Amino acid sequence: MSVHTDSLWGGALEKIKTWARVNSPWAIHYNSGSCNGCDIEIVATLTPRYDVERFGIKLQGSPRHADVLICTGPVTLQSRDRLKRIYEQMPDPKFVVAVGSCATSGGVFQGCYSVVGHIDEVIPVNAYIPGCPPRPEAIIDGVVKLLASLQAPAKAKK
Amino acid sequence: MSTDLVLQKVETLLAGFAKGTAKPEPNRLDLNIDASDLIAAITALRGARWGYLAALTGVDLGKEANQIEALYHLCEGDAIATLRVRVPRAGGAVPSVYALHPNSMFFERELMEMFGVTVTGLADTSHLFLPDGWPDGMYPLLKDTDVKAAAARTMGSEPPEMGRQGDRFIVPIGPQHPALKEPGHFEFAVDGELVTGATVRLGYVHRGIERACEQQNYTQNLYLTERVCGICSHSHANAYVNGVEQLAKVLAPPRAQAIRQLVACLERIHSHFLWLGVAAYEAGFETLLMYSWRDREVVMDVLEQMTGNRVNYSASVLGGVKYDVTAAHAAAIRRAMDTIEERATHYLHVVTTDTSFLARAQGIGVTSTEEADALGLLGPTLRAAGVTRDVRVDAPYGSYQQFPVTASVDSAGDLAARFKVRMLETLESVRVIRAILDGLPEGDLTVKFPRKIPAGETISRFEAPRGELFYYIKSNGTDKPERVKIRTPSICNWIYVLTKAVGSQMADVPPLLAGIDPCFSCNDRMIVVNRHGGDRRIWTREDLRRHASTQTRR
Amino acid sequence: MRALFNLLFFPGGLFLIVLALAYEWVDRKLLARFQNRIGPRWFQTVADIVKLLVKEEITPATAHPILFGVLPVVAMAGALTAALYVPLLGFRPAFSFKGDLIVTLYLLSLLTMSIGMAGWNSTSRFTMMGATRALTQLFSYEAPFMLALLGPAIVAQSWQISEIVAANQGPWLLLTQPFGFVVALIGLMGKLEMPPFDAPKAKTEIVAGALTEYSGRGLGLFHLGKEMELVVGLTLIAALYMGGIANPLEFFGKTLLLLVILSTLHAILTRLRIDQTVGLWWRYGAVAVLLQWLALIAWKGIVA
Repeated sequence: MSVHTDSLWGGALEKIKTWARVNSPWAIHYNSGSCNGCDIEIVATLTPRYDVERFGIKLQGSPRHADVLICTGPVTLQSRDRLKRIYEQMPDPKFVVAVGSCATSGGVFQGCYSVVGHIDEVIPVNAYIPGCPPRPEAIIDGVVKLLASLQAPAKAKK
Repeated sequence: MSTDLVLQKVETLLAGFAKGTAKPEPNRLDLNIDASDLIAAITALRGARWGYLAALTGVDLGKEANQIEALYHLCEGDAIATLRVRVPRAGGAVPSVYALHPNSMFFERELMEMFGVTVTGLADTSHLFLPDGWPDGMYPLLKDTDVKAAAARTMGSEPPEMGRQGDRFIVPIGPQHPALKEPGHFEFAVDGELVTGATVRLGYVHRGIERACEQQNYTQNLYLTERVCGICSHSHANAYVNGVEQLAKVLAPPRAQAIRQLVACLERIHSHFLWLGVAAYEAGFETLLMYSWRDREVVMDVLEQMTGNRVNYSASVLGGVKYDVTAAHAAAIRRAMDTIEERATHYLHVVTTDTSFLARAQGIGVTSTEEADALGLLGPTLRAAGVTRDVRVDAPYGSYQQFPVTASVDSAGDLAARFKVRMLETLESVRVIRAILDGLPEGDLTVKFPRKIPAGETISRFEAPRGELFYYIKSNGTDKPERVKIRTPSICNWIYVLTKAVGSQMADVPPLLAGIDPCFSCNDRMIVVNRHGGDRRIWTREDLRRHASTQTRR
Repeated sequence: MRALFNLLFFPGGLFLIVLALAYEWVDRKLLARFQNRIGPRWFQTVADIVKLLVKEEITPATAHPILFGVLPVVAMAGALTAALYVPLLGFRPAFSFKGDLIVTLYLLSLLTMSIGMAGWNSTSRFTMMGATRALTQLFSYEAPFMLALLGPAIVAQSWQISEIVAANQGPWLLLTQPFGFVVALIGLMGKLEMPPFDAPKAKTEIVAGALTEYSGRGLGLFHLGKEMELVVGLTLIAALYMGGIANPLEFFGKTLLLLVILSTLHAILTRLRIDQTVGLWWRYGAVAVLLQWLALIAWKGIVA
C-alpha cells in the first residue's frame, strides 16, 4: 500500500517538475563564430513580432541561470573551449539547441582551417535548426519541438 | 582636384623613394618602395596630409619568387596610392607605422601572423585572429602551409602559460556576455567603477575565409563573402562582385546596378535600426529595442519579398543581379518607406531630446575631428565627429553617380551624435530608395560573365553601414583568385573603444562598444590584439578554465 | 494558533507567495504590453519558481557553503516576517506593536543586504561589482525612503502602523505630503532593483550582478523574496499614503494602481548609471523629503 502511494506521489512530482521545466525554459545565447545572421534572427524572436516570452523563454545573462543553450556558428578553434566551459557551467537539467547550417554541419565554412565544424563535436546537442539563417518562426518551432519532446518521455514513463 | 592631380601630388612627394611606379587603373598609383624607406615615405604623405591608411595587404608571391609583398593602401577621395614593399619570404621585416597611423596596429599584427613578416617596433606581437595554441612558424596565408596540420595541433595543444602581473581588478567581458551578440574578449582594468585600462582579444569568429577564397572559384567565393557578416551581407557580396567585374572588365547592366544600390540602401536601413535597438538595450533601454526591431520588420518583409530571404539575401551575381523589382515590389517598398520615414523621424527626435537617454549618451566617448581622423576611424563613427568621409560620395561606384547620396555628418563627436548620424543616414537612404524607384533604368538583369578572369589586381571600396569596406583581389588567369583581402571597417574602429574606455565608467563601456556598431564577424577573418602597456592581470584560456572549474563544486 | 495560521497560510505565508507571483505576472504583462508584445501566460511566474526550486544548485568552491545556502532563506524570511505587520488584503495586521513600522522597514532592508552579502560571498568579479552596486544603491535610497515612510508617522505621532493608518483618516496623505509619496514610491523601485534603478543587476554590463553564481533553489528563494517585498512595499505605501486599506477590494485597487505606475516607469525609462542613481537620491530625493519633514514639524508645532 505504501509503495503504491510512493509511486503515485513520485509520479505526480515528476509531472510537476517536467511541467515547470517545459514551461519555463530560460535561455542563454552563445555565438561560437557565426556571421551573425542566425544571431540577429534569435534576437528577433524576443521582439514584438515573434515574442518568445509567450513560451516562457527569457534571455539570461549568466549560464548558471539558464536551462537552454542556444548556440550558433561553426565553432572556431578559438571559441571551442569557451563553448565547453559555458556548457559545463550550466546546472542540470540542460539542453542545447544548435541554430543554423553552420552549427549543424559547418555550413559554407566546412573545411576552413580555423573551424571545427559542428557544435555536436564539442558539446551534446538536443535540437538542430537548419537554415541560413533560419527564420525566427523556425527557431521558435525548433525550441517548441524540443520542449514537447521533453514531455513525451515523462508520459512514456507512465 | 581631379584624381590625376591628386595622384601626381603623391608622385612628387615620393619621388625620392619610389623605385618604380605604375598606374594599373585610372584611379590607382602603385609605387615600389624599399622597406628601409617606408617610414620616410609615409611620413612625407602624412606631413602633406595626404590620405588615410585604408588597408595593409600581404601577398605571397610564391615559392619561386620567394618573396612576400606588403601593400600599404592609402586613399584620398577617389585616388588610391599603394606603396609596395617586397621582403624575403623567410625572415623579412618591415618597420611599424603605428606612430603615424594608429589603426595600423591591427593590420601589422595580421601581416605578422598570417605571413610571418616581422614588423619591427610593434609593442604587442601576440596572436590577434589566430587561436591560442596555433603553432608558431605556420602562417596560414602562405601558399604551402599545411593548415590542416596546424589546426590539428591547435586542437590538441595546451595554451602557453602567461604570468600574472599586478593586482588590478579586471572585468572580463565576453566571449559570452549579454552585451555581446558576437564573441570577443575584452578586459577592462577597473578601480571601482572607473576603467583604467582596456585590451581586446578578437579571433573568436576567425574562420579562415581569405584562405578559403584562394581554393574556390569566383562563383563559390560569392557565397562565402556573403557570409562574412550576416548584417552587411550585401555590402560584402557587392564589394566582391564590383572587384571581380573590374578585373574581368565587364560592366553590369544599369538596371542591375540600380537594384544593387536599392538593396544596399535597404540593408543600411535594417542595419541601423538593428543597431539602434541593440545599442539602446546595452544602455538598459529595453523598450527602444522592442520598438525599433518591430519597425525593422517592415524592411525585412520587403527584402524577403524581393529576394526570398530576410538575411543573406544574395541579390548579386557576377555580372548582374538575380532578382528583378516588379511593380508589386516597388509598391510594397514605397509603403515600407513611408513607415520607415515616420519611425526614423520619431527615433531621431528621441535620440536628440529624450532626457533619460541623453543622460547615458551625451558627452560619452567624445572625439574631436582631428583625433578621429588621426585614429583612422571609419563610417558613422567618424562622421559623427565632423569628418565628411564616405566612399559613396568620395568614390561613387555602380549607380551612385546616377543616384547620388549626401553624407550625414555631425560635429559633436559623442555617443549621442553617433545615434543622430545613423538616424539621418536612414532618412537619407529612404530618399535615395524613392529616387531609384522613380528612375529605375530599363534593361537586362545580367550580362555574360567569363569563368576565367584575366590576371590582374584590383581594389574595390564600398560603404557598408559600418564604414568603408576594402577589398583587394588579385587574379591569375584561372577560375580561382590568387588572393582576396578583406578589410572591414570595424577593425579600424576598435581603437576608438580602447582609447575612450580608459577614464570612463564601467557602465559606459557597453554603450561605447555599441557606439562603433562593432561587427566581430567582419573583422575576425584576420585578428589582431591590441594590448596597452602597464600593470594588469591577464586571464588566458587556462586561467579562465581553472577559474570556472574551481568555482564549481558539485 | 490563529497567529500561526496567519503566519503560514493566510494572509502571510502561502497566500503571500501566491500574491507575489500574481503581482510579478501583472508587472511582466504590463511591460510586455507597453513594448507591443503579448507577454507571459498567466501561470508563467508559478512555472518559473517551481523550475528554479527543482533545478540543480551549484555552489561555487570559493564561497562559504553555509552562508551561500542560508542567505536566500534569510532574504525570504525578512520579506515573510515583514508581511505580518502590514495590512495585507485589508485585514488587520497579524501582529502589531508599538514601533512595528521601524521593524518592518528593517526587515525590508534585510533582503537587499542579503543580496549584497551573497554577491560578496560568491567572490566572482561580476558578483563583487553587483554587490558593491547593490549596497551603494541601498545606502543612497534607504535614508530618503525611510524618511518618506516616517512622514505619516510624524503626523500621527506614532510608530505603529495600525495607529498611523487610523490617525490619518482624512484627505489622503499623498495629497498633503506629495514629496514623501513620490520618494517612497521611487524608493521602492530602487529597493527592488526595478529599472531604471537596476544597475546592480544590469544584465548587459555585469552579467547578472550579485546573483550571477546562484542557480536553482537559492535563486528561486531570492526571486520569491523580491516579489514578496514588492507586495509588502506596495501595501505599506498604500496604507500610509492612500488613506489605509479597509477591505480586500481597496487592497487590490490601491496596490495595483501603484503597480501600474511602477511598471509604466519601468517601461519608459532607460537604466541609470549607479553614480546617477546615487546622485539622484542624495541630491533630490533626500533634500525633498527633508524639506517636507521640516514643513511637517513646523506645521505640527504651530497647528497642533
